[in-house]
Amino acid sequence: MKMELSGTEEINATPQALWDGLTDPDVLQKCIPGCKEMTATGPDAYDMKLQLKVAAVGGSFDGKVRLHDKSEPDTCHIEVSGGGSLGTGEGRAQFAIADAGAGKSTLSYEGEGEIGGLVAGVGQRVLKSVAKHLTKQFFTALRKHFEEHDATA
Amino acid sequence: MSGPAKLFQGKYVSTDRRVREDPRFVAGHGRFVQDIDRPGMLHVALVAAQAPAARIVKIDPSAALAMEGVVDVIDGAELSAAVNPLMNGLDTPKVQRFPLAVGQNRYAGEWVAAVVAETRALAEDAAEKVRVETEKLGFVIDAEQALEEGATPVHPEHGSNLLLDRTFDWGPVDEDFARSDDSLKLRVTWGRNSTVPIETFGVICEWNAWEKVLDVWASIQMPKYADQIARALKLHGNEVRVHYDVDVGGSYGVKRGIKQTVLAGYLARKLGRPVRLIEDRLENMRSGDAHGPERIFDIEVAFDRDGTVNAMRMRALDNAGAYAGRAPFQLGKPIGAIVGPYRINSVQYRAMSVTTNKAVQEAVRGFGQAPTNYAIETMMDRVADHLGIDRLDLRQKNLIRPDEFPYEIPSGSKYDSGDYQAVIAKVLEQGDYDGMRAERDRLRAEGMCAGIGVAACLEPSGGNSSFEPLLNPANRTSTWMEGSRVNIDALGDVTVAIHTTSSGQGHETLAATVVGEVLGVDPDRVRVVRPDSLGSLPGNSPVGSRMAIMLGGAAANAARDIIRQAIAIGAHLMDADPGDCSYDSGTVIGPGGAEIAWTEIVDVAHRRFHDLPKGTNPGLTASFIQQVPTGETLPKDGKAQMYPCYSFEFHLVLVAFAPVLAKPELRRYVIGHDCGTVINPHIVKGMTLGGIAHGIGATLLEEFAYDGEGQLMTQSFLDYLMPSSHEVPEVQIVKHCTPSPLTEFGQKGSGESGYLGSPAAISGAIHDALKPWGIHLNKLPIRMAAISDAIAAAEEKGHP
Repeated sequence: MKMELSGTEEINATPQALWDGLTDPDVLQKCIPGCKEMTATGPDAYDMKLQLKVAAVGGSFDGKVRLHDKSEPDTCHIEVSGGGSLGTGEGRAQFAIADAGAGKSTLSYEGEGEIGGLVAGVGQRVLKSVAKHLTKQFFTALRKHFEEHDATA
Repeated sequence: MSGPAKLFQGKYVSTDRRVREDPRFVAGHGRFVQDIDRPGMLHVALVAAQAPAARIVKIDPSAALAMEGVVDVIDGAELSAAVNPLMNGLDTPKVQRFPLAVGQNRYAGEWVAAVVAETRALAEDAAEKVRVETEKLGFVIDAEQALEEGATPVHPEHGSNLLLDRTFDWGPVDEDFARSDDSLKLRVTWGRNSTVPIETFGVICEWNAWEKVLDVWASIQMPKYADQIARALKLHGNEVRVHYDVDVGGSYGVKRGIKQTVLAGYLARKLGRPVRLIEDRLENMRSGDAHGPERIFDIEVAFDRDGTVNAMRMRALDNAGAYAGRAPFQLGKPIGAIVGPYRINSVQYRAMSVTTNKAVQEAVRGFGQAPTNYAIETMMDRVADHLGIDRLDLRQKNLIRPDEFPYEIPSGSKYDSGDYQAVIAKVLEQGDYDGMRAERDRLRAEGMCAGIGVAACLEPSGGNSSFEPLLNPANRTSTWMEGSRVNIDALGDVTVAIHTTSSGQGHETLAATVVGEVLGVDPDRVRVVRPDSLGSLPGNSPVGSRMAIMLGGAAANAARDIIRQAIAIGAHLMDADPGDCSYDSGTVIGPGGAEIAWTEIVDVAHRRFHDLPKGTNPGLTASFIQQVPTGETLPKDGKAQMYPCYSFEFHLVLVAFAPVLAKPELRRYVIGHDCGTVINPHIVKGMTLGGIAHGIGATLLEEFAYDGEGQLMTQSFLDYLMPSSHEVPEVQIVKHCTPSPLTEFGQKGSGESGYLGSPAAISGAIHDALKPWGIHLNKLPIRMAAISDAIAAAEEKGHP
């Protein structure tokens, strides 16, 4: 099944700090819900291991992430593809960072993806809300990261 | 044939006797596959394909094999090198099918690897660790798109998606269209659904290397199962032993189980240990044998202004799914009742079966008859609507009359007997049709949508396989026999053997009742046994609504042979001519009224060879292999005698719903049912009620729905909706009996009753309720959202 996601978030970080965070595998591993591992396999290419639960279905997802058409510190395109016991997924997304002043940034993102396998068939009725929920978790974690970052900085 | 068959008056047949299987099931003492535990047994879980079509680049089982308790992981490459492809009844050699996908998968959920472990739980955990690397391929989901030029072929080697495209012209179709006053066209679509048994499919295979025999215990309802296993596994026929004394927890066609058994059988031989594969619900729903017909009907019908229907052109386009399966033949069986209960002079029928990247279609209750009946009855409603004639009057005008039987329909099948008018009259009277109409009008006055639906249709029964030679000339099958054996032991007690598994049809009751009736012995004193397949007579399992006719016929004829032998012995003892002697409940009566008791006959047969008539073998046993009545010839000139016997059912239903929410509620349900002589009334009642519930599901709720990306969206009971006690109303059954002249007691089949007509009746009632808006909902299931959306859309346009 096809899915679309988009939104805008305000983050307490300068555009450069936000950019650095969003392209840092350690930060991403910390913030992506269920992410167990994020390993760089080349320039702008990563392997990612997730452990997730969607509706009645729980399981693993191993994905490849590729960043391209980067324009630091404004825009970046991301491609994700992979699969596991949960099902398959592939998606394309892009984000744009704008300076919101006072050390803040606005992050806009939009993406589309296709979900297949078990999670599509069994979890479809909740998949959209789960995706929203996971996105929210991601940004909550990201905000927390910058709070901690600021505190230790 | 000389006149209508007489009503059968028996001592046990048709009487109010308990179904002998019921107590053990109610008390929880059935013996299902899950209950059978073999020492050292291993368990299988399956790795499913995620995409609707993908090339299998690499399967890496190393992580799974490293887990404790995991014994083996196999894929389609290994399996296909060792076994033959599964049987494909069509002449399409390039459409090959193996239990596991080979090279590429062809539907989401298809099994690409099997994991064997010490427990099922371990096997499932390990299945998650099997890494399958794939490359996505193009796919096609929709039957019409699959037909298009340039459509992605599901089997590239086959060249196209077309499995079958046969056009039959029966009678002067063009002339009948030309001479008719009027015609109309319609399209209706039957959605993919299932029978959804409580028990999924399960099998245990065990290779006994010392005996050189593969033992199989399975939840099976599959003709020629043991033969198919032997062929696929390259074994001799007598190296496969299927145990028939396994209870089957529901089927109605979907317990095909052949791919599962070939897989488990291969593993059992390879690993030298018993192997069990029991599908979980997901495996069953998305990749087992659950899916039934999915069919688009394009119909053109020609008729006169007075309502006489003269001719019909029907194109049935059936979505077979990814492999040939039994789907194409499910287009063939309805040929035997292609005009329903009506006198339609000529018919053109085009049967098309296409492959798509959906799960494989298998047999489902009625073997394609339910969709066809729905199409024919919807057509009759539309003609009535078009002409402004009452739906019942239109049907009455076209019904075959009771004095016209046996009646040969254009496709060459003869209907054995019937009195459709009598059944309908009884239903209208006993079901209070006038009261129902008053109730409908009262509901309408209250602002509800309310409608009455009717459906008259046939249940062809006594399953043969005439559709196979008809659709595939290379197939020369003209028998679909069933055997039974009656033994009289040295104490004079009766044992009857049946040679198949049963999935709730009550075959033990059937066999005991029939043998008891013929021999004049209380059926409760008759033992019923199920030898394994190597000890069995040939048979074809309970498909095609056939066992009352076929097993009933075989058992009755075997019992008659016992009587013949008893009379011969008795006559010899009395020094009389056997022709002058008779038999009554065990006693042989001579010409002067002298009697030889049963104990004496048994004693002679079992101990006193010297008292036997010359040339008679000792013992008292008889086997009979019943040929399907009417099955004398192969199909000729595109015409065939399909099943021999034709049961009739007439549905009358009142549906009501609120126009905004539009959840159809069945307020009244009356069915008139004529399946000839009933062997056991409780079994027939259960079949009919269950069939109606099944039809309610097919009409309103159940569908295996795929999304545009080829994913099955309804693979659990959250999404695949089943009728419950909320949706299934109380049903009034009105009985009628027109015996068949072709069977032992006048019996016909009833295993598909209810299901074959309820979708048309319920859909018709919804349309009657929607009449003010002039809405047609031409696809089943008709979900409540479809009704309310259609009403809202019509009102936006200013209707009514």
